[in-house]
Amino acid sequence: MSMSRILSSLRCVRMCQVAGRQVRCLASEACTEPPDVPLHTPEHVVEPPLPDFVERTGETSALKKARLVYQSRKRGMLENGILLSTFVDRYLDNMNDEQLRMYDFIINKPTSDWDIYYWMIGSKPAPEEFDNEVMDMMKKHAQNKEMELRTGWPDLK
Amino acid sequence: MARLVKISSKLAKGGNYCQGTSWHRHLAGARSLHVQTTADRGEAKHSTGSSVGIKYPIIDHQYDAVVVGAGGAGLRAAFGLASKGFKTACVTKLFPTRSHTIAAQGGINAALSSVDDDKWQYHFYDTVKGSDWLGDQNAIHYLCEEAPKAVMELENYGMPFSRMPDGRIYQRAFGGQSLKYGEGGQAHRACAVADRTGHSMLHTLYGRSLYYDADYFVEYFALDLLMNQGRCVGVIAVSLEDGNLHRFNATNTVIATGGYGRAYFSCTGAHTCTGDGAGLVARAGLPLEDMEFVQFHPTGIYGAGCLITEGCRGEGGYLVNSEGERFMERYAPSAKDLASRDVVSRAMTMEMREGRGVGELKDHIYLQLSHLPPEQLFSKLPGISETAQVFAAVDVTREPIPVLPTVHYNMGGIPCNYLGQVIEHKNGKDVIVPGLYAAGEAGCMSVHGANRLGANSLLDLVIFGRAIANIIEENHKPGEKVPDMPADAGEMSVDHIETLVNNKGNTPTAELRLKLQKAMHENAAVFRDGPTLQEGVKKVKAIWPEIMRGIKLSDHGRVWNSDLIEALELQNLVINAMATVVGAENRKESRGAHAREDYPKRMDEFDYSKPIEGQKRIPIEKHWRKHTMAYVNVNSGDVKLDYRPVIDTVLDDKKVQSIPPKIRQY
Repeated sequence: MSMSRILSSLRCVRMCQVAGRQVRCLASEACTEPPDVPLHTPEHVVEPPLPDFVERTGETSALKKARLVYQSRKRGMLENGILLSTFVDRYLDNMNDEQLRMYDFIINKPTSDWDIYYWMIGSKPAPEEFDNEVMDMMKKHAQNKEMELRTGWPDLK
Repeated sequence: MARLVKISSKLAKGGNYCQGTSWHRHLAGARSLHVQTTADRGEAKHSTGSSVGIKYPIIDHQYDAVVVGAGGAGLRAAFGLASKGFKTACVTKLFPTRSHTIAAQGGINAALSSVDDDKWQYHFYDTVKGSDWLGDQNAIHYLCEEAPKAVMELENYGMPFSRMPDGRIYQRAFGGQSLKYGEGGQAHRACAVADRTGHSMLHTLYGRSLYYDADYFVEYFALDLLMNQGRCVGVIAVSLEDGNLHRFNATNTVIATGGYGRAYFSCTGAHTCTGDGAGLVARAGLPLEDMEFVQFHPTGIYGAGCLITEGCRGEGGYLVNSEGERFMERYAPSAKDLASRDVVSRAMTMEMREGRGVGELKDHIYLQLSHLPPEQLFSKLPGISETAQVFAAVDVTREPIPVLPTVHYNMGGIPCNYLGQVIEHKNGKDVIVPGLYAAGEAGCMSVHGANRLGANSLLDLVIFGRAIANIIEENHKPGEKVPDMPADAGEMSVDHIETLVNNKGNTPTAELRLKLQKAMHENAAVFRDGPTLQEGVKKVKAIWPEIMRGIKLSDHGRVWNSDLIEALELQNLVINAMATVVGAENRKESRGAHAREDYPKRMDEFDYSKPIEGQKRIPIEKHWRKHTMAYVNVNSGDVKLDYRPVIDTVLDDKKVQSIPPKIRQY
């Protein structure tokens, strides 16, 4: 097996320029692009719409905090499970009602957890409605300036 | 959350039932609560102890079908059922778009032949071979033949698959995909939606299901199946928002709760992958199948578990041990760091076992990337430097990434036939458990056998979610009488919560969870031999009573009690772990993901490395090409093992021929 063949049998990380944007094949398995066929994901086609996020009303802030702890620890993807659970562990206690409301929107309104992740690590800009002081705290938290080895869930308090 | 059923306010009007009280007060107060009927689509009933022998309120519902879990499999089943007119409830601990299916980026296999001359029969061959001949060929036949239809259906529902310029669905190549029964080179079979296939699938199925009449009970945690004389008649769940208990009495119950990667210390799966479905069936006295088959990915970040792609090694990254040695050169002299996943995982494990692991505990390995030019790192491996910085505090341009083999997929699960019906194996026959179905990573059909191929898991979800909706439609009519549940149905669950909450246990969940995960990772991970696995069984047995009876909760509240839910999840995890380690200890062979140092060969009915003419067939008691059926006693932790033959026949041999076993080589 030639080196190039071995390389091409591994995960493809080739970038394709399609419809004016970079599209990357992010398969978690070994992957190659079909020869000379560019990937094309139509921008105008989107999944069926989901119902809008409805904010919960009449919650005490203690109740809201308990809910946000659960919703931060229970994510569908590992990266967000770690980042959000460590974030609430560190910051939730001292957040005011307005900040709690912002955080609730950030973690519950978007329908893709990948988006929340990309905003936090700074690889995509957060949309205006989520780009607030809490998002700044989350971004700072993600940067891991304290150089922590993040091993998973923090213990519940 | 359009269809979240709100009932707490009605209950609050009942007077004695105030939000935010402790479970103790709740239980005490409830004893004097009046019987109150709450209107949930006009049918939910609110019963008290007098009628059900339980001393506090339970909200009853009746459905044609209840689905537990709202990932790809659960949504496909729920939406299929609702679209056929069945009154369907979907009970889920996570909001649907937050299920672990979202993490699947790669694709979904189907022989659409967009790129090459692919046939579903080739896909069938690859999957049988990938399973190391432990997969049931009738189920694999069904999976592969239905795959193109299922993908076209998803497309019709609005899933925006990536395209080729002429409009056909784009397909990418993964490892293990071949043309012409392994003879025709690489196939391109995985359909994808850019890098968000799983997310897109969830979004499409959930969005579509809202066109029909499915009720979503979001952030409800399923406690137990309701059984009546061997028939499943529904499920009992607790609502996180208010702590109320709900009995879903249903003609059909579908389990789609996902895998149990969290039984291990390092796992690429979300924290929510806790094998809750296996806990449900084990508590109902039903078996788990082939739990010893656990797929590992060589490079998960140490501690966090986040996946570091194989592409790193493709770009020139390599693994080093504590002596700075590129040890893969010794294990795989030609492929080196690019050898297959199981080879790399095993080599890393051997290095650590021989004391050449890195770090204080010598329990991981370094992935070296810093010799690569930064421009190449950022352009060819986007996202890797962020992942390393965020989760391991490593600057990849200067330091290596700490990694270790990490659990990636559970092939085993709840035993099912190819229609998604849960089965037991009695007196040499597969026997259907009436009213119970399973799909997705929670189920075991078994299409993945001893090893899953890339992009077959998303396919598994939709195919068997859909199969369940179809078989229910074949056997039932919407609105038919729901089978009775026993008067005391759910009492066990209520007692259990009560015990847990009132427990004078000593140890918090987190501590026990870590103990279990470490035991599993040390004793039932990649390296397996008799003494290691026997020690593993002992360790899990030792933790068992602590987890089942010794958890100390610090939160006694009723609402959003994460502490309680994580305790319940841990009790499910230990059931999965026990079946895994006991099954692995007993299976004295190496097959697919289960590789034993002391039994390095696959043990089939014939020695397929030689011509079979003249060989005597080894009886099933003496070979290992059979499925493990593990009955976990949830009180004692004892496991009773039984075995079930592999199904080698296909559904229709005019369409595809069964593939006889041979030595699996790539």
